[in-house]
Amino acid sequence: MLSGCDRSHDSATQLIVTGSTTILPIAEQAGEGFVRASPDTSVLVSGLGSSAGIEAVMTGTSEIGSSSRDLKAEEEGLGLVDTPIAFDGIAVIVNPTNPVSDLTVEQLRAVFSGQITNWRQLGGEDRGIDLVNRDEASGTREAFKKAVMSDDARFDSSAVVLPGTGQVRDVVSRSKGAIGYISVGFVEPRFASRRVKALSVNGVVPTEETVTTQEYPIARTLHFFTKGEPTGLAARYIAYVLSDEVQQGVVVDAGFVPVSERNGQ
Amino acid sequence: MDKRVANNIAVAVLWVAASITVAVLGAIIVYVFVNGVRALSPAFIFTWPHGVHAEGGIWPTIVSTLYVTVLSMLICTPVAVLAAVYLAEYAHQGRVVSTIRFAADSLASVPSIVMGLFGFALFVEAMGIGLSMLSASLALSLLMLPIVMRATEEAIRSVPRYIRWGSYGMGATKWQTVSKVVLPAAAPRVITGIVLATGRAVGETAVVFYTMGQAIWLPISPLESGRPMTVHLYLLAVEGINLPAAYGTALLLMLMILGFNLGARWILKRYRKV
Amino acid sequence: MTSEQPQALVKGELTLVSRETQVKEWLLAALFFSCAFVAVLGVALIFAFVGWKAWPILSDVGLSEFLLGRVWAPSDGSYGILALIQGSFVVTLGALALGTPLAVGTAVFLSEIASPGMRSVVRPAVELLAGIPSVVYGFFGVVLLRPIIGELTGSVGFGPLTAWIVLAIMIVPTIAALSEDALNSIPMGIREASYAMGATQWQTIYKVVVPAAKIGIIDAIILGMGRAIGETMAVLMLVGNAPQFFAGVGEPISTLTSQIVMDMGYSTGTHRTALFGMAAILFVISMSLVLAVRLLSKLRD
Repeated sequence: MLSGCDRSHDSATQLIVTGSTTILPIAEQAGEGFVRASPDTSVLVSGLGSSAGIEAVMTGTSEIGSSSRDLKAEEEGLGLVDTPIAFDGIAVIVNPTNPVSDLTVEQLRAVFSGQITNWRQLGGEDRGIDLVNRDEASGTREAFKKAVMSDDARFDSSAVVLPGTGQVRDVVSRSKGAIGYISVGFVEPRFASRRVKALSVNGVVPTEETVTTQEYPIARTLHFFTKGEPTGLAARYIAYVLSDEVQQGVVVDAGFVPVSERNGQ
Repeated sequence: MDKRVANNIAVAVLWVAASITVAVLGAIIVYVFVNGVRALSPAFIFTWPHGVHAEGGIWPTIVSTLYVTVLSMLICTPVAVLAAVYLAEYAHQGRVVSTIRFAADSLASVPSIVMGLFGFALFVEAMGIGLSMLSASLALSLLMLPIVMRATEEAIRSVPRYIRWGSYGMGATKWQTVSKVVLPAAAPRVITGIVLATGRAVGETAVVFYTMGQAIWLPISPLESGRPMTVHLYLLAVEGINLPAAYGTALLLMLMILGFNLGARWILKRYRKV
Repeated sequence: MTSEQPQALVKGELTLVSRETQVKEWLLAALFFSCAFVAVLGVALIFAFVGWKAWPILSDVGLSEFLLGRVWAPSDGSYGILALIQGSFVVTLGALALGTPLAVGTAVFLSEIASPGMRSVVRPAVELLAGIPSVVYGFFGVVLLRPIIGELTGSVGFGPLTAWIVLAIMIVPTIAALSEDALNSIPMGIREASYAMGATQWQTIYKVVVPAAKIGIIDAIILGMGRAIGETMAVLMLVGNAPQFFAGVGEPISTLTSQIVMDMGYSTGTHRTALFGMAAILFVISMSLVLAVRLLSKLRD
């Protein structure tokens, strides 16, 4: 685990947030806003994957572990306190030229475990399915696995494994037979010139609304984990992240669903 | 086949080989330049990245790269130069020298991921220095060591003997000869070697990733973490959130290394008296 | 070659040098020796630490299961790296096959055919290629090459073919520079004798000069191989990272180096030990290649 023994930071003025690459941009932006308001503090954010983040907060190397997946069974009961900061839908994307528009969860499972290998079997063209998977450290992968793959279904080991959302999107946008999954917020990002098509799953289109009402079946919570209840600098930062300024600003900007919306505030 | 025809065909093939090499270099440079120059601006160089899409500049990564590079240079140079002095002036051919050379060659061919894991296991964890400029510099120094050692040794050997004899003839000791006569004469080549090795260090990714970390930060003390340009480029390329910034980073990186290379050549040309 | 030192000064028979200076000289020599020994220390430390961290794999998994196991699935407890070893070799050998002719051809061009004008263009080009960081090569491959290969193979474009092309270019400077040195060190006289017998340039090159420089060129290729096996970032970005056996030039595979980077961030326990085991294997391979070069050079002398 990569955060090492960090003697150089004083938790009263420096906050370390590590974990999910999905949450990374939000955490960084919120960090900037936070530091602007309290100039004698600093917020250090890094993204090595949700698993790395959880481990870092457990060993004390960081104050906050960000995770885009829920705790695994073996991580529960160890004193980690969960503060949800946003909700996210995971969109299944295919190339814009692909005629297939909707798949069931069962079909998705068969595709990603390698049992269905040709689009023809799904009512599409006669073309091989190119699976694009995320790396094992990815919270996005974990969340997708939890929602789509049942216990005995495993990801096909011949799938291409890419370490970043952007790459998945780029590859799917260029390869006619490709299928992958990314956070809903990244389906239409700002700097992309190529497009992808998000499938509807079980007939439900992934939108902010369907994710909020949980009608869209592949969704997840974005977490900030702390060891014990958040205190001091961490508590202030988390409060800031939960504030309207960040929720309606950065969180929506990144394509996620603010926590407040589901709670009906 | 007529031997002249064979000759002409073969020579043509060799021309093609060399042309491909040059063409590929040109393609990479032109491609990165054309796409990257659009992103370059004083703002890009001097501001921080901000926003969900890493807009803005890459200033802290530039500082991190330069910081760790300079620190590595400072750590590596004395050790490497004195080591080369030993090999060139003091050592007798034998098992010990052979072992040292083998070790230096091995260091030069260590895969960078192995050096990265080693740096992580030793400097970051075992020695407790943590993810920092210092850990990264120590690891990079080990990579630079054989390069500077070899350059210095060759530089020292190329100093003509009669210069040393003149010094001994005046009653100087070995160390006086080496420090006041040989090294200054060898200096341009030695500096060239250091600059080239530094250029190599600037381009390292795997080693720094596991010893410096990747948090965007402006390091002040050597114990602080940071993110160098190479790691930033990797993350930008892989996350795909801001391709123009990636090109800009790649371009700046290449310009920096080009600067080091040209600087090394210039030093050699300017100070070559022998 | 050590520079001569008049004996009288050292033995102190003449009182030109005081005892104090003698001691100082000796201490300095010892200091320089220890600096030189740092290289040895470094290698020993790498051996020790990587080996120590990798050691438990022998008891946790067992050497044959580790090296010969066909399934790499750490989340299921499978730590077989055979597919990764195959991946490393497939990628390396393909890169060598593409890169060696290009590199040796360029080297021969530089030493035998090029005019000084051409040399001043091609030689710096080779040096500049050597200076481009591997992450830039990987980036270039991802944005430019991968989509093209994807079109060509009808697949996604990550896989051996893409890696071969980029890796081949990356090892050209290594092989070309060393080959050129080897060729340049063959005395002109040999060539002149060949021309005098009526041989063409090409005949001279492939019958006389290259065989004479054979060992140096083989050294260069071996070192290029070392570079290719140890390459991390470019391969990571291009090869697709699927820990399966070779399935086609356009289908993703994984190598020892790329798999370590993919897994390192979140690995714990046996998984991490396995990664260090892979690093240890890479280290042993690279040192063996250096050893091979040394032995070959002894053959030459």
